[in-house]
Amino acid sequence: MVDSVEKGNMTSGRIEYLEPYRAEDVKKILEPIVEEWFFNKFDDFSLTQLYGVKTIYDRKNILISAPTGGTKTLTAFLGIINYLVGLALKGELEDKIYAVYTSPLKALSNDIFVNLEMPLKEIRELAKKKSLKMQEIRVGLRTGDTTASERAGHARKVPHIYVTTPESLSIVLTTKKFVDNLNALEFIIVDEIHAMANKRGVYLSLTLERLEEFSLITPVRIGLSATISPINEIAKFLAGEGRDCLIADVKLNKKIDIGLISPAKNLIEADSAESQKELYRILDNLIENHKTTLIFTNTRAATERIIHYLDLHFPKKYEGFIGAHHSSMSKEKRFEIEDKLRKGELKVVVTSTSLELGIDIGNVDLVVLLRSPKGVARALQRIGRAGHKLHENPKGRFVVLDRDDLVECGVLMKNMIEKKIDNVEIPKNPLDVLAQQIYGMAISKVWKADDMLKTIRRSYCYSDLSKEDFLAVVSYLAGDYALEHRNVYAKIWYEPSTGEIGKKGKLARIMYMTNIGTIPEEGFISVVISAPVAKMGQVVGKIDEAFLEKMKRGDVFVLGGAKYQFIRSQGMKAYVIADVSKNPTIPSWFSEMLPLSFDVAVDIARFRGLVAERIKDKEECLEFISEYLYCSGEAAEQIYEYMKEQAKFSEIPSDKTIVVEKFKGDKEYLLFHSMFGRRVNDALSRAYGFAAARLRHRDIEIGINDNGFFIAGEKLDENKIINYVNYKNLELILKEAIEKTDVLRRRFRHCASRSLMILRSYKGRTKSVGKQQMHSHFLLAAVKKISNEFPILQEARREVLEDVMDIKKTKEVLRWIESGKTKIKKIRTPMVSPFGLNLILQSHADLIKMEDRAAFLKRMHKLQMSIIEGK
Amino acid sequence: MKIKFIGKCLLLEEKGKRVFVIGDLHLGYVGSMRESGILVPSGIYNDMINELDKIFENIGKADKVVLLGDLKHEFGRILQEEWKEVLGFIDYLREKCGEIIVVRGNHDATLDSILKQRNLKGASYFIWENTAFLHGDRDFDFVNGKEIKIWVIGHAHPAVVIEEKRGGKKEKYKCFLDGKYLGKRVIIVPSFFSLNEGTDVRDLSGNDLGLAWNFDLKKFDVKIAGDGLEVLDFGKLKGLRKS
Repeated sequence: MVDSVEKGNMTSGRIEYLEPYRAEDVKKILEPIVEEWFFNKFDDFSLTQLYGVKTIYDRKNILISAPTGGTKTLTAFLGIINYLVGLALKGELEDKIYAVYTSPLKALSNDIFVNLEMPLKEIRELAKKKSLKMQEIRVGLRTGDTTASERAGHARKVPHIYVTTPESLSIVLTTKKFVDNLNALEFIIVDEIHAMANKRGVYLSLTLERLEEFSLITPVRIGLSATISPINEIAKFLAGEGRDCLIADVKLNKKIDIGLISPAKNLIEADSAESQKELYRILDNLIENHKTTLIFTNTRAATERIIHYLDLHFPKKYEGFIGAHHSSMSKEKRFEIEDKLRKGELKVVVTSTSLELGIDIGNVDLVVLLRSPKGVARALQRIGRAGHKLHENPKGRFVVLDRDDLVECGVLMKNMIEKKIDNVEIPKNPLDVLAQQIYGMAISKVWKADDMLKTIRRSYCYSDLSKEDFLAVVSYLAGDYALEHRNVYAKIWYEPSTGEIGKKGKLARIMYMTNIGTIPEEGFISVVISAPVAKMGQVVGKIDEAFLEKMKRGDVFVLGGAKYQFIRSQGMKAYVIADVSKNPTIPSWFSEMLPLSFDVAVDIARFRGLVAERIKDKEECLEFISEYLYCSGEAAEQIYEYMKEQAKFSEIPSDKTIVVEKFKGDKEYLLFHSMFGRRVNDALSRAYGFAAARLRHRDIEIGINDNGFFIAGEKLDENKIINYVNYKNLELILKEAIEKTDVLRRRFRHCASRSLMILRSYKGRTKSVGKQQMHSHFLLAAVKKISNEFPILQEARREVLEDVMDIKKTKEVLRWIESGKTKIKKIRTPMVSPFGLNLILQSHADLIKMEDRAAFLKRMHKLQMSIIEGK
Repeated sequence: MKIKFIGKCLLLEEKGKRVFVIGDLHLGYVGSMRESGILVPSGIYNDMINELDKIFENIGKADKVVLLGDLKHEFGRILQEEWKEVLGFIDYLREKCGEIIVVRGNHDATLDSILKQRNLKGASYFIWENTAFLHGDRDFDFVNGKEIKIWVIGHAHPAVVIEEKRGGKKEKYKCFLDGKYLGKRVIIVPSFFSLNEGTDVRDLSGNDLGLAWNFDLKKFDVKIAGDGLEVLDFGKLKGLRKS
């Protein structure tokens, strides 16, 4: 069995769906003692185990996709434990790492304990009882939190199963000792692979290729995923280029119990005190009638707000029984809440998104989704947190807050019931991640550039990486762009004549170890009290950068349950007045907003179209809505009224028609009802905004949300603006339009940090995010002076266009428009239409800058002079 | 005393003599960024020299040049880059001006060991005619004397954000602040150092900027270097359109 698949024996990259094996066939492969242990503990194999255990035993790559509570982790381990127990009984267990398990979660010790350490312990005890001699099977755990002495222990006493995070795995690949222990690795498990459709996943895919490259045998790859789409692509991503992979698409017969609740009879009044009161009454009622309730709010700010107001409306009732959980809380605080949840000590936990991922959180029996979770997979994942146990049905309720939210949640619910999952996309060819990995590869050994490129291209994410891009990154790492300082700052050397690449500097490994990772550090601003005097200087908490950007002097916001008035910010500090009685002025929803997915957006547009066709006959229409969305008559009535208002006022946009409304406010507005999700809207708005700005040579204001966008300026010629943009020039326009934006600046900082241009930790000192941010500002200015094609700057642009925005889908939409498949209908309206109201009120606004700094200064100077002279 | 605002610098003229003033320079900043593990491409120093070339082309040779402190960036040990840039800069100025006067800033504790190589020495302040040139982090009895009418100060890195309207377009510009304090005219000079944007002074007072005096900046005039060397007067800080 050990010599399974010979190395280099590349197969064709076939992806096939698997059928479950019969229980007898799975049973047959188990060692008697493992079989005895298993059936002492469980009645039967789970469906997931019927798919997975034998496949892994047969050494085939497999992606197991199953809803939460599907015994995935044990499935992955069972076959491996069985194999190792067999060896241990024969005394053939070697001192090497047989299996690596990686998970993006650091806090998974509980899961590993239940699914790995416990079974091993119980089997060992069983063997003892039977007086069977068995070698010890060792488990080693390494995450970012593992101490140095524990790590040294791993190197001395080699663990047979190595549990780690993607980042830590890549660090050990630069350690000689570990590489020796890993070079006959047989299994690699990638858990939570659904959470890896991002740069972290890209990074892992390269780490796996590095592992593969020096491994003497080809390890079997096992991927574990929640429900995800497109599953074929995830399988390819797991296996790498040209390798086969089997898919176990496990459909558990869990019924989801799901419903839709709206607080206001008439949601137009959604912001009124009355409907707010109603909202908290509903939440209280739901919490009251369940053992433990988990409320998802999407944002940190909203999490704070819900806790604040629950306490306000029901004084003392929730004291000690309510907890908050979001990513800007300290690790200890989060662990404390998770622990209390498991022990059943809390009645309700309010969270932003941080409790979405897999760790077992105990007996939650209801999940409330406050506002749309913006995608079907995410909604399923969240609701799966209730009824985490195998045979329990998850139960969830959408609580909607306005009419757009109502329609959106309705369509989400339909797709959940019909199991229509939205597609994710994994970034392709990111150069910053590549830079980090090339550095790591060069630390391990001297490479031939061609071999290095070949290894990199085996990753799904880099299969079509161009040689030019590869060499540009190599050249950056070799210090070519620092010009005369090349020798001081080069991280690798590259010798074109021999085509060899190697590391530079004695500190390379340490520098690599202390700076790797792909998750950007977001800046958090300390909130400091500047009045009243008694509290002056107190730091009351932290808010994120994006939230601060929105704040104006005098705004009141909620933090940690108390209200503060914003005065000014300096560096990474925000100064506030405490003990204010005014109501919060800053709507807490808009920072960190999740974008609506393209697929759900298009489904909403289709639904709008279907309603529009039936709008004339109320009875028929109501019946259609409640049947189509599986919603109550009350919800259907509200949706009908909303659609009817829009039809009367302007026209209902659909999947076939983009309605563009023109109206005058303080400026002229063009409002596009483009239902394509936020990432496409982001791109479209900037392209049309840029066209408008260029045509009149003035700055243009743009605003976007998930349902559309507007552009506003002094005089807008809609025909010229719309004709200006086409699918051929889109990329060019966007590249120019994003050049001066904050989003490019912020992403550049992330990319500079990932590509090790900014070392977070260097010579024993760690840089604060504030410092990094300040430096990145200079850095961007300096980089642009040197070369506009600098690879890391290119990557920041790619990230904005492909990951933040969705340029591919945007091009597709423009093709639809050009071919006439989608029509643009222009309508003049006296004011904003019902569908556009939220867009005007709550959108995230930005400016397309056309006028340069000097011209703006002159114009403002003239204005200022006229004011001064007018006095 | 004739005072001319030119780019981010000042030119003072009295009795046929002319003194040119340059604000904080923070030479070696790029080197210190690299020291701390940030890979910055080169070229910043040359940009600064190009900017000065344009000014000297316009004004010709000055009799004296005053550097208002923080000539170099690092507080402690001297980086290789700082040696090179400071000496290079002094040599450059020798070609363009007569006497060079270096006022010491809070970053300049170790500056004298470099200056020694060019027979120069940093001073706490410099008096010329009725004008005192100071860095600004410390006060001195002597500059408070009656015969002193004007203070020229660095250190504060002043800038203002100009906003079209609340939530509308805004941009930040380095600026001079020109006002009165205890009967003296006070001119705060922006930093010359090109990578730094400066501190937005709206809502701030002298102490907030780290200055030794708590100037009421609201009453100071704001003067912004626009395109090229022209400086635009925006009137009193308190009169600036606010968000």
